[in-house]
Amino acid sequence: MSARWVVGAIALATATVMVAQEPAAVPSEGWRQVEAGYPLRFPRDHGSHSDYRIEWWYYTGNLSSDDGRRFGYQVTFFRIGVDPAPANPSRWAVRDLFMAHLAVTDIETGRLLTAERLARAGVGWSGASVGTLEVWNGDWRADLDGESHRVRAIDGMFGVDLHLEPGKGPSAHGRDGISRKGSEPGNASYYYSMTRMPTSGRLVVDGEEIEVRGASWMDHEFGTTFLEEGQVGWDWFSLQLDDGTDIMLYQLRRDDGDRDPNSAGTWVEPTGASTGLEADELVLVPGRRWLSPSSGAVYPVEWRVELPSRDTHLDVVAAVDAQELDTDASTGVTYWEGAVTVTGQVADRAVTGRGYLEMTGYAGRPMSEMFR
Amino acid sequence: MTLFRQFIVRALLGDRSRSAVTVVGMTLGVAVVVAIRLANTGSIRGFATALDVVAGQTSLEIVGSGVGVPETQLADLAWLRDYGRVSPVIDRTARVRAPDGTETAVRVLGVDVLRDRPFREYRLLRFTQEGRDLRPQEFLELMLDTSAVVLTEQFGKRHGIDLDTPVELIIGDRVHDAVVRGLLLDEGPARVVDGQLALLDIAAAQLLFDRLGWLDRVELQLFDADAVDPAVRSTRIDEAERAIAARLPEGLRVQRPAQRGRQVEQMLAAFHFNLTALSYIALVVGLFLVYNTVAVSVISRRSEIGTLRALGATRRLVRGLFLGEAAVLALVGAGLGLPVGWLLAWAAVGLTSTTVNTLYIATAATVPPLGAGDLVLACAVAVPLALAAAAIPANEAARMTPVAAVRDADRFAQLGRLPRRAAWLSLLLFGSGAWLARQDAVGGLPIFGLGAALAVVFGAAALVPVLLDLVRRLGRVPMGRWLRVEGLLAHANLSAAVSRLAVSVAALVVSLAMLTAIAIMVGSFRETVTYWVGQTLQADLFVATADRAPVGPPVTISAEAERLLASHPDVVALDGFRNVDLTYGPDSDLIILGAGDFEVLMEHGGLLFKNPADGRAAMRRAVAADAVVVSESFALKHDVAVDDQIDLDSPQGTRQFRVTAVYYDYSSDRGLVVMDHATFARYYGAQRPSGLSLYLEPGVDPEVVRDELLDVVGREHQLFIRTNGALRAEVLRIFDATFAITYALEAIAIVVAILGVATTLLTLILERRQELGMLRLVGAARGQIRRMVVIEAAMLGVLSQGVGLVVGVVLSLILIYVINVQSFGWTIQYHLPLGFLAQSTLLIAVTTALAGLYPARVATRATVGDSR
Repeated sequence: MSARWVVGAIALATATVMVAQEPAAVPSEGWRQVEAGYPLRFPRDHGSHSDYRIEWWYYTGNLSSDDGRRFGYQVTFFRIGVDPAPANPSRWAVRDLFMAHLAVTDIETGRLLTAERLARAGVGWSGASVGTLEVWNGDWRADLDGESHRVRAIDGMFGVDLHLEPGKGPSAHGRDGISRKGSEPGNASYYYSMTRMPTSGRLVVDGEEIEVRGASWMDHEFGTTFLEEGQVGWDWFSLQLDDGTDIMLYQLRRDDGDRDPNSAGTWVEPTGASTGLEADELVLVPGRRWLSPSSGAVYPVEWRVELPSRDTHLDVVAAVDAQELDTDASTGVTYWEGAVTVTGQVADRAVTGRGYLEMTGYAGRPMSEMFR
Repeated sequence: MTLFRQFIVRALLGDRSRSAVTVVGMTLGVAVVVAIRLANTGSIRGFATALDVVAGQTSLEIVGSGVGVPETQLADLAWLRDYGRVSPVIDRTARVRAPDGTETAVRVLGVDVLRDRPFREYRLLRFTQEGRDLRPQEFLELMLDTSAVVLTEQFGKRHGIDLDTPVELIIGDRVHDAVVRGLLLDEGPARVVDGQLALLDIAAAQLLFDRLGWLDRVELQLFDADAVDPAVRSTRIDEAERAIAARLPEGLRVQRPAQRGRQVEQMLAAFHFNLTALSYIALVVGLFLVYNTVAVSVISRRSEIGTLRALGATRRLVRGLFLGEAAVLALVGAGLGLPVGWLLAWAAVGLTSTTVNTLYIATAATVPPLGAGDLVLACAVAVPLALAAAAIPANEAARMTPVAAVRDADRFAQLGRLPRRAAWLSLLLFGSGAWLARQDAVGGLPIFGLGAALAVVFGAAALVPVLLDLVRRLGRVPMGRWLRVEGLLAHANLSAAVSRLAVSVAALVVSLAMLTAIAIMVGSFRETVTYWVGQTLQADLFVATADRAPVGPPVTISAEAERLLASHPDVVALDGFRNVDLTYGPDSDLIILGAGDFEVLMEHGGLLFKNPADGRAAMRRAVAADAVVVSESFALKHDVAVDDQIDLDSPQGTRQFRVTAVYYDYSSDRGLVVMDHATFARYYGAQRPSGLSLYLEPGVDPEVVRDELLDVVGREHQLFIRTNGALRAEVLRIFDATFAITYALEAIAIVVAILGVATTLLTLILERRQELGMLRLVGAARGQIRRMVVIEAAMLGVLSQGVGLVVGVVLSLILIYVINVQSFGWTIQYHLPLGFLAQSTLLIAVTTALAGLYPARVATRATVGDSR
C-alpha cells in the first residue's frame, strides 16, 4: 500500500469540506467501495478507476549514471475524488483533484530536490484515462509504450524522463489484490505493484542531463475509504534484493503506540511468483533517528527488518537522512520518503539491495482525526 | 526689487477690487484647466491602475474575438505552459445585495485558485488572523460550492458582512443566493477597486454568468517574468508575445494586459480632448483679465511712468515692472487655482463618470492627488500666457516718452489706427479659421477644428475695438434720442474709453460667443437625438438589466426571463439585442458588434438610415448573408461606405462582411456594426441578449402590460422594463446630464467675464471722479449719474451679446460640422434654440446692468475735490 499519507490528508480535507457544507454527506457517498470479486487485468487496470474516490500511481527507483553517481527518484500521481457527479456542467467543475509529487535524491551530495503539483482537470490539462495507463498533471505524465512505462516529470531545472520495462510484471497484494486497511470490510484498496522494472533514461539535475540506469518500483492503488480511527501513520518498505527477490512491507501504527493488526507484506520471487506476508510474520524495529530541522519531526532512518518465517534479517539504512517532503502547496502533508540501502541475510546467504522507505504520521496534526 | 514692491505690489494691493477680480479670473481659469486634466487622468488612471493591479503578475493575455476564448481551443493550447503559468479567467460585473439591504456593483473574477494564485496574491482575513497562509487546496475547497463567494475585508466592514453571511449575487436579471466563504485582506486587487471585488470559482462563474464553454481571457505569467531589470523583462515579454502570436490559431490574439487600458483610453480620447479644449476657454478669459489689469495699470499711471523714466529708469526696467505684475497675478492665480481645481475635479468626475457610460462599473474613478507636476503645469500654463498677454501693455509703457507721460497728455489713449489694424487682424484670423475648418482630423482628434474655433474666437476679440469705434461714430444720435442726456453722456464716456474697454468687452464677447455656440450645438444635438429616438424607438417596451457594462462583456438577460416575458398574451413580437466588444482596424479600435432580429426590425422599424434611402431593402439583403449594417460614426471613422467589404475578427478567424447600409446612431461614438442574429450566431456562437424589445398587441396599454410583466418575472429576475415614453425621457435625461459639465464650464467663464467688465467700469469711474463731481456741481442728480453708469454697463453687455451671438453662430457651425464630425462622427441637424438665445440675451443685459450698479454707487459719491 505504499502509503501516501498524503492521500489521507486529502481525504481528510475533502471530508471536512463536505461535512461542513452538507452535514449528512459522507465522503464515501456516491463512490464505490472495494469488494471482492474484481479480478485485476492489464493493461486495463493500469488505467484510472474513476468510480473509486482515491487512486495513485507511484514510481520510485534507485538509479546510477555511467560514472557511478547514485540517485533516488520518486514520481507520484494522485487522483482524489471530490464529487462523483458535480451538478455544475462546467468543464471546470471539480470532480477530481489531481496531485503529483516529484523528488530526486542526489545521494552523493545528500541533496533532495522536490516539486509538487495540484490541479483540476479543467480542459484536460490534468487527468487519468480509463482502460490504459495514461495519467498526467500538466506536462508530467506516465503512460505506456508497448508494455513499458514512460515516466516524464521535469520541473524547470530538475526531473526525470525514464523508460521502465515491465520486468516481473504486476504482483497483486493481499487477497486477490485487495489490501485490507481496517476492520470494516470496505476499508481497503485494490493494490498491485510492479516490483522490479529495469529502468533507463535521463535525470535532470540543476539543468544538467544525466544518462542513468537502474531499477524502479511501481505501485498502483485505488479505493474509496482506507483507514480507521486510531491509525496514526505508517511505515512502508519496498526492497529489491540482489538475489532477485523483492519485498513489500508495511505496518500501520496506532495512537496507543501499538502496531495495527492490519499490517502486511508481499514476498516476490525472482520469477515473479508472490506470496503474502501476514502481520505476525514481520517484525520492524526502528533504529537510529533523525531530527528534521524544518518540521521538528523525528524519523527512524535505520530499521531492522525481521521476517522469521522466511529466515530473513535485513538492515535498512537511509541513503540520505534528509529525505523529508513538505508538500504545502499541494497536500500540506509532511512525510519522509527516500532511497535506502539494504544489507543482511536470507537463509544464511548474505544479500544486499536497494529500495524505498516511506514514513508518515510523524509530523503535523494527529492523523486519527482524518477518518471519522 | 524695492521699486517693484513700491511701484507694483503696493498698487496691486491698493486697487484691491481690480486685483481681486483678476486673481479670481486667473484662479478660475487655472482651476478649470487643472480640474479637467485631473478628472480626465483620474478616470483613465483609475481604470489603468485597477487594470494593473488586477492584472497582477500577468505578463500577457490571450483574448478571443469579442465573445472570448472558446475552451475547446484552450485545450489545444497546452504548449502555452512552455512559456509560463497559465490561468483562465472570467472577468465580469455583478451586484451584491448585502444583508443591510444595499446593492453594490462589484467586479467579479472567476478563477481557478490553484492556477491563479501566483498571478494575484490572495490572502484571507481569517487565516491571516490565525497566523498562517491558506494552502491552495484549502482555498479551492472554500470556493467549490456554487453558492460560495469570497468578498473583501473592506466590503465586509462596509456592509456588515462576515464569514458565512448569506448575500445575494445579482447577475444580469438573475438573483443568486450565495454565502460568503472568505474575506480578502485589504491589499492588492481587493484594495484597488475600492473593495468592490468578488472572487468565484471559475466553474461557478461560468455557470452563473452563462459562460459554459467560454473564458473571457487566459492570462499568462512568463517563467522569467520576475527579471529584476525591467528592460530585460520587457524584451522577454516582447519575444514571448511574438512567438505566441505566431502559434495561436485564428480567432485568438495575445496582448499585454495594458492593451485593454489603452483601448479604453483611445475610446475616451475624443471626449477628453474636447473637454480639455473647452477648459482652456476659461483660461483665455482669465488671460484677457491679466491683459486688462496690466493695461489699466499702465494707462492709469502714465505720469508715474514718466517720472520713473525721467529719473533714469530704462525702458527695460519699465517693461520688466509690468511683466512682473502679470507674473505675480498669474502665480497667485495658479497657486489658488490648484486646490480649487482639485475640488472642481471631484465635481467633474461625478458628472463625467455618469456620462462616459460609467467607465467601468466597479472601477471607482478617483481624482489623483495634486502633485508637484500639477504645480509645474499650472505655472507653466499660466505664467507664460499671462506674460504674453501683458507684453502688449508693458511694451506700450516702455515705449512711452517721459515728456508725454508726465504731461498726461492723452490719458485715454488715442484710437489712432487701432480700429483699422484690429479690423485687418480680425479678417486675417477669420480667414485662417475658414482654412483650418476645412482640414482633416489628426489621429481622430479635431486639432485643426479647434484651431479654427480658436481663430474665430480671437478674430471676434479683434473685432471688438472696430465695433466699439463704430458705436462711437454712429451711436451718439440714437442714444441721445432714446435715453436722452444720460444716454448721451454714457455714449460719450464709452467713446472716450474705447481702447480701454476693448479688452474686457472682448473677453465677454468670447465667453458669450462660446456660450451661444455651445447652446446651439447642444440644442441642435438634442433636437437631432429627439428625432432619432422618435424614429428608432419603435417597440412598446424595453427590457434591460439593472447593470450596464459599457466596456467589456455585456450583462445578459436569462433564457427563463425571456421565456416568461414572451409568454404574456399581449406580447406579439420580441427582439433581443446582443452585443460584444470587438477590435477593428490597424489601430485595434474598440467597436461594438451588435446583433438583432432583422425581420423584426424590418417589420417594426427601428433604424434610421443614412444611406441608402431604402434601408429596409438594404437590411433584407443583409439577412442570411455575410453582410452588416454600420453606424454613421463607424462609417466615418473607418472610411467605410455602402457595398464596401470589412474584415471582422471572429472566433473562427477574420471574416469579410459586406456593408449594405449606413444608419444614424447616437448611442455610442465607438462605432457600431450590426448583423442579423442568425449571422451573429453562425460566427460568434449563441449568446444571451443584453436587451429585449417587446412589441405589443395594438391598443393595449403598455403601462398595464409592463406592470403585469414585472409581476410575472417577479423577484427572481431583476429587470428594468421601460415603456417607450419612459425610455425616451431617460435618453434625454442622460443627454442633458452629459452636457451639464459643458454648461458649468461656460457659466464660470461668463461670471469671470462680467466681473471683468464691472471692474473696468469701476476703474473708469475712479479715474473720472473729477468729471463726475463736476457733473454733480452743474446740477446732475445722483439718480442721473447712476442711470448713466448703468446704461454704460448695459450698453457694453448688449453689444457683447450682439457680437457674441453672431460669432457664436459661426462657432457653432465649426463645432457641429467640423469638431463633432471629426471626434464623434455624428450628423447633427442644425437647429437654433431661439428661445434660449433670447433668454440669455435678456439675462446678459440685465446682469451687466446689475454689474454696473456698484461702479454707479461709487460714481454718485464722487465730488469735485476727489483726487485719484
